[in-house]
Amino acid sequence: MNMDQLTAANPVPSVPALDDRALFERIVALPHERGRRVPRKRTAIVLAFAVAAVLASTTYGVSSWLAAVKPPVTLQEYSAAQRYLTLPPGYTWPVLHVDSNSVTSPGAGGGHAVTVAMVDWECYWVSAIRSHDATAQGRAHAELKTLLHDNTVVAPAGASENWSPPVDARQPVQVFADDGGYQYKERMYAAAAAGDPTLLMQSCAVNGIR
Amino acid sequence: MSDDEARFSAIFRNLGAVTAYAQRRGSRDSEALAAEVMTIAWRRLDRVPRDDPAPWLYATARNLLLAERRGTTAVGELPDVAMPASEPVSLDPAIDRALRALSPKDREALLLVAWEDLTPAQAARALGMNATAFRVRLLRARRRLQAALADDARPPVTMEVEEA
Repeated sequence: MNMDQLTAANPVPSVPALDDRALFERIVALPHERGRRVPRKRTAIVLAFAVAAVLASTTYGVSSWLAAVKPPVTLQEYSAAQRYLTLPPGYTWPVLHVDSNSVTSPGAGGGHAVTVAMVDWECYWVSAIRSHDATAQGRAHAELKTLLHDNTVVAPAGASENWSPPVDARQPVQVFADDGGYQYKERMYAAAAAGDPTLLMQSCAVNGIR
Repeated sequence: MSDDEARFSAIFRNLGAVTAYAQRRGSRDSEALAAEVMTIAWRRLDRVPRDDPAPWLYATARNLLLAERRGTTAVGELPDVAMPASEPVSLDPAIDRALRALSPKDREALLLVAWEDLTPAQAARALGMNATAFRVRLLRARRRLQAALADDARPPVTMEVEEA
């Protein structure tokens, strides 16, 4: 499917040319909500709290917010995470390529390792389903539940795209946006365990290609 | 007509587009929602970007849809404004299933471009993302949609799955 086909599937293809003058008049009769000037004293208090909050944070926390890391750190994180994560039988860790002039959030290397492990276990599960290997299916499900529980965090609502939690090398984590992705994974695994592996197969098909 | 009214008049020309957006996302009352968006735009006119108000309007509509959806969503469920809650609009069933297989953010990225006719830069602003990150998301979303459609077209497979 290309974008043209998706565009053609638009359920409301035409935009109505609405010119509701009565609505316009009603709206412009309302007062503006002008940016209210905050009294200087209140501004000073707010600034003081902000500065205090930053100073009260640990140095580590502040560096996590502000310091993006360079490729060697990301690669080291990726490598270190492999000691704490298990891949399915027959799977190997792919080489991580990071552009030399790029920077990433702290912990992103470990997060990538978690993502690799998760996708591999999903594909292992799909293979186990196809080969009717109940033991392997059970192991894959258990591993994926652990990865979701121990190695996945959901960013706070409204957090920026590069939000990252404090880095703990012994517990690499992948970060999900607060958009229902985590719950989607939970539903996917529950459905597969209940006999409907459709979403699991889709996920493997889309993400499992190295 | 005052300067503010003249400026708002240009913003108000998006009323039809915002109404259509709300309709496509299954708003219970798309016209009321669009009117609410316009009212907010007027009241907060100083916050609406002068050069291109469309992304701001879509972002506001999306927030209102989220609020509307929260009112009808059971506790514990996450509202998803990228797809209609019920079926107020007709959509090809295969495309509907494939879109629902995507994450809400992927869906919204695709649909803002394909259905709302926003440029990637506008859609990125509507979603509060930078343009580069948006383009990556859009590319991946397209691939995922393609894969979901391809998977959907295959005959169903019966499988035995056992609980761990």
